[in-house]
Formats: sequence, structure tokens, C-alpha cells
Amino acid sequence: MTPRIVRAVALVSLREFWRAPDAVFWTYGFPLLMAIVLGFAFQAQAPQPLPVAVIAGAHADALAAQLRQSPRLAVERLDAEAADRALARGRLALLVRATDDGPVLRNDPTRPDAELARLLAERALRPPADDSAAPLSVEAEDRPGSRYIDWLIPGLVGLNLLGAGMWGIGFNLVHLRTQRLLRRLVVTPMRPREFLLGFLIGRGILVVPEAAAITLFGVFVWGVPFRGSLLAFLLLVLAGGFAFMGLGCLLAARPRTIESIAGLTNLCQLPMWLLGGVFFSNERFTGVLRWAVEAMPLTHINRALRDVMLEPTGVAAVVLPAAGLVGFGALCLLVALRWFRWT
Amino acid sequence: MTAAATAGPAIELRGLRKTYTKGKKITVAVDGLDLVVPRGQVFGLLGPNGAGKTTTVEICEGLTEPDSGHVQILGRQWHQGDDRALRQRLGVCLQETKFHEKATVRETLVLFASFYPGGRSVDEVLALVSLQEKADARQASLSGGQRQRLAVATALLGRPELLFLDEPTTGLDPQSRRQLWEVVRTFRRDGGTVVLTTHYMDEAQQLCDRIAVVDHGKVIALGTPAELIRSLGAEHFIDLDVEPDALGTRVAAADLEALPGVQATRLSGEQAALTVASVHRALPAVLELLAARGIALRGLATRHATLEDVFVHLTGRHLRDEGAA
Ligand SMILES: Nc1ncnc2c1ncn2[C@@H]1O[C@H](COP(=O)(O)OP(=O)(O)OP(=O)(O)O)[C@@H](O)[C@H]1O
Ligand SMILES: [Mg+2]
Repeated sequence: MTPRIVRAVALVSLREFWRAPDAVFWTYGFPLLMAIVLGFAFQAQAPQPLPVAVIAGAHADALAAQLRQSPRLAVERLDAEAADRALARGRLALLVRATDDGPVLRNDPTRPDAELARLLAERALRPPADDSAAPLSVEAEDRPGSRYIDWLIPGLVGLNLLGAGMWGIGFNLVHLRTQRLLRRLVVTPMRPREFLLGFLIGRGILVVPEAAAITLFGVFVWGVPFRGSLLAFLLLVLAGGFAFMGLGCLLAARPRTIESIAGLTNLCQLPMWLLGGVFFSNERFTGVLRWAVEAMPLTHINRALRDVMLEPTGVAAVVLPAAGLVGFGALCLLVALRWFRWT
Repeated sequence: MTAAATAGPAIELRGLRKTYTKGKKITVAVDGLDLVVPRGQVFGLLGPNGAGKTTTVEICEGLTEPDSGHVQILGRQWHQGDDRALRQRLGVCLQETKFHEKATVRETLVLFASFYPGGRSVDEVLALVSLQEKADARQASLSGGQRQRLAVATALLGRPELLFLDEPTTGLDPQSRRQLWEVVRTFRRDGGTVVLTTHYMDEAQQLCDRIAVVDHGKVIALGTPAELIRSLGAEHFIDLDVEPDALGTRVAAADLEALPGVQATRLSGEQAALTVASVHRALPAVLELLAARGIALRGLATRHATLEDVFVHLTGRHLRDEGAA
């Protein structure tokens, strides 16, 4: 070990970072900005009550009244079918049903918040002081189509589309710029739109097998049902892929360094990872977060993909979300074309 | 060629200026450069590192926006009409390009060929730059010289009227270099115009019809290689190699320049380079002077003046003047 060498290498590495203002911003400024924005967003929210449904029938009113004693539970009354559906789509954390042997609680314990909702419900229905009563019976939701895994798989397909657009397109475009290949291309008679379109098709075609791989894995390994139209699914995958690839192009329109595109990508991707409805449902948000969630293309893709996989949804029902996604992608692309930096 | 000449010059640059600003530091890359490149010639831009050659060429290619000045390429100006039609007539080899790393040579050429309808075939340009054997090799596995040849090949695909080659032979072995010269000569014979930058004096001398010597963003000399060499005032050099501590002390530059036929002297260490009009008159006098001062001669060579000498003469003096100012 020669200290002089270690010192020289350390210095040059530090300078290399310090002299790239975008790298500095994305390392220091961005997390700070995130902390401020998210801090405000979450502070503005009271803790969200957990949604619980009581299935309509005898004693339902009494059960609902008991559950409402817990301020952390949001209780609604649904008929059995609607309740199952809401549980499957992640809009409910717990179902409560009255039977002759007392209330039965139903959830999928693998879902985030499911167990917390159950504990809160148990406390409301059987106060700890009352140890004479029999324990409540609990059913685990394990019917295919209603489990957490059934809900998760379409979300993972959506997440994969997001990644393909952001990294596959955005990152690679900036890479070509740093390689100085874009400036070589722009001195040819090639039109910018020809280049971007070709690039999108070349990369975009890959999203179909990727989505198929995740879906087939879910169907054959986890027994996830596929109840809707295959064509509708394909349409959504292509539309969603296009939306994120357009976004990838837009993010890659200006940056000259890998650090900047990585930062911009994180800026877009992180909120969608957190709030796009991949790992936990974003259907119950209110206020600013509701607004933010609806602005995210990932929310709409995931919602539509779940419609198609978990319910018998046809092509007609996905035309609107698909058109919205294509419109979003096209808008991003148009702006990207105007701003695109070739040198 | 007369028809081409009546159609106006291939390139006309007037008062071209380009600066780069980084914080408070301003670099003047091109400083009021004027240049006219006639059609049907091989035109060389010669100059030291950082002289502004690449910046000038990239302004011509429409890659870089000048701060000010007039640029006319094949009778047209950038952003004033159909840029695409103009690009169709240009072939470009940039100083530094990395093509798709995992693409083969042929795949890269197929990509570029798609931009030029009616251009050369991929096999034709592969043969032109002798890359047939590497046609199926990926970019990452090519040597530096092979990459350079690929870059030239992409410039030739569109049968351009005007070809820009920014240091096309840097890193090439002598054989590949000669081969590329042949490509350039054939291109010119077929009526094309070439603008090339180079650091190789022999290349400029052998290949270029006209040369502009560029320094600090300005053209400091312009002419055919022969004219430039003639401008030295003498076409021969005598290179002397003498014992240490003799030059500048026991014999001064002025002593040598006073000799018949000697026009200029450059001393550096133990070497002296004399610019002479006629070797047969100067040489005996030089030997006589050294003998008279008791200076032992270790080596002696006479040669024709080359562009190298022009270059050193021009930029050397220029740099000294600047140092004195
Ligand atoms: N992007 C840039 N930002 C700042 N300065 C630049 C930039 N590009 C070039 N320069 C400066 O402009 C000057 C001219 O550069 P240019 O590349 O034109 O030189 P050149 O004659 O091609 O040199 P070489 O023979 O080394 O290729 C140099 O001093 C260089 O440092
Ligand atoms: Mg250069």
C-alpha cells in the first residue's frame, strides 16, 4: 500500500464527482427535495383508517356498529359478491360476516395491513376484558383470484413495463449520447423521428415477451387466474409500454451524463414504485395523494391489467385506458422530439 | 472540373467565430476564420492540437453553431431550407465516434446505408476500406485502426459530393494509411471534394491540393504544398548534430546565417537546422566555420524542405511572438 497512490486516486475520484453539477444535484439535492415533498405529502394525511366490510345479512348492523367503535377502521356494508370483489382488488383489508356461531373474519394474511385490520376488528368485537367469550373464527382468503399474489402479478407486469421504458429507453439513449453516436447520426439525412421511432420499436417489442413471462409464471406456478380477454391484455401491454417508453424518451431528451438520467429516472420511478399500486393498493388514498396517484400512468395500467386478469373483461373495456396511455406516450414523444439534444 | 468551378466553391467561411464558456473561462476555438474550399480538391486543415480544426469542420457539418460568421456549404446555408437534402450530399467522419458496441461492422454499415437511397452497397465500401475480413466482427473486437476505417466507410456510403475527414488516418498502420489515401484520391478523381484534418505532414503533402495552416482559430498560411514550402524562401535544409555546449556559445545563430546561401537557422540543444537556398554553396561554408571554431561534427544530413518545416516555422514563430508580447 502506497498512501500517495491511494490519496491521489481518492482525490481524483472526489473531483470527478464534485465537478459534475448534475451528479451532485442528484446525490444531494434530490434526496433532500424528496424528503421535503414526501414529508409534506404524508404529514397532510391523517393515518388512513383500514377499510373493513361487513357482509349484508342478519346481525350485520350490530356488527358494523361494534366495529365502528375502533376509530382506525373504516366500516362499510357490502353484499357478499361485491365484498369478495373488493377484497380481491385490494380495496378492503378485511371482511366480517355474521354466522350463527358468531362473527367470522376473512382476509389474506399476506396482504399488507390485513393482519392489523384483523387485530383491530378482534379488539372491537371482543374487548380484552371479556374473556368469557369464545375466540373469533378467522378464515384465510385462499381462493385463486382473491389472494394477494393474484393481485400482485398484474402489478409486477405494470412495474416491468415501467422499468423497460425508463431504463431500456431512457438510459440507453443517454448512453448513445455519451458515446457520441447520436452526433454522428444527426449529420446523416436520417430524420430525428425516424430514429426515435425505430429505437422505440426495437426496444418496445421486448415488452411483450417480458409481460408474457411474468404472467405465465403467475398462472402456472401460483395458479393466478386469467379471466379476461387475451387481446385486451396485449393491447394494454403495448399501450403501457408505449406510454413509459415515451416518458423514457422525454427524460432522455436533454441529459448529457449517466448521473442525470439516473436521477431523472429515479425522480419518476420512485413515486410510482411507492404509490403506483404495485405492492399495496393505492385505491384508498384521499387528498393530494389521490391526485398524485391518478396522475401516474402506472396506476392506470395496473388497474386495467387487474381488470383483465382478475375479472372477465373484454377489449371494449380497456380501449379508454389504452387510448389514454397511448396519448400520454405520444405527448411525451412529441415534446422529446422538440427538445432532443443530439450533441 | 470547370463545370464544378463555375458552380461556386464547395465551402465558403467568412469571419467564423466560436467560443466556449465554462464559468469565467472563455476559450476562443475559432477566431475570425476565413476560408474558401474550391470544388474538386482535397483540402487540408493543418494545425497543432487545439488549433480549432475540429470546431471549424463541425461548424461546416452543421453540428456546431458558430457564434458569428457566414457559412456556405455547396452553395447552401444551414437552417435556411432543406438541411436534409444538404446532408444527403455530405459524407462525415468525425474525430471520435463509437458505434453500437455489439453491432458487427456489416450491421453498422447496413444502418448507415439505410440513410442514403441510391448510395454505395455495403460490400463496396467494405472493399474500399479493406474491412471484408472483419465484416462479421463486432465493434468491441475491432482494433483502433479498424474502427477508424469503419468510420471512414460510413462516410463513403452515400456517394457524397463533399467529404469531411477529421483525422482519418490517426492510428492507422502505414499500409492502411496509403490505402486510405488511395480512397481519397479516387474520390477526388471522380469529382468529389474532400476536407481533411491531419497531423501528418507527409499526408498533407502527398494528398492535399491545398492546405490551410490553422493556429489559434485563424488561418495563418494558405496555399498548395509547393507554395507553402516555397514561402520558406529556401527549399533545402541542412541538419547538423554537433558536440554538446557548442551551439549558441562557440557559434551563434547569426554566425551561421551570415554564411553564403544560409537563410535561417534554428538551434535546439545539440542540433541546428539551417534553411538554405542551395546546398552546394552553403555546405562547404558551414563545414569550414565549424572546423575553424574547433567544433566536432557528429552528424549531418541534407534534405528537401517539407511541410513539417513550414509548420514549425509558422507556429514556432507565432508562439515565440506571443510569448514576447
Ligand atoms: N466542448 C468544448 N468545450 C470547451 N472547449 C472546447 C470544446 N471543444 C473544443 N474546445 C476548445 O476549443 C479549442 C479548439 O478545439 P478543436 O477540437 O477544434 O481543436 P483541433 O484543432 O481539432 O485539435 P486536435 O488536433 O487536437 O484535434 C481547444 O482549445 C479546445 O480546448
Ligand atoms: Mg480535432
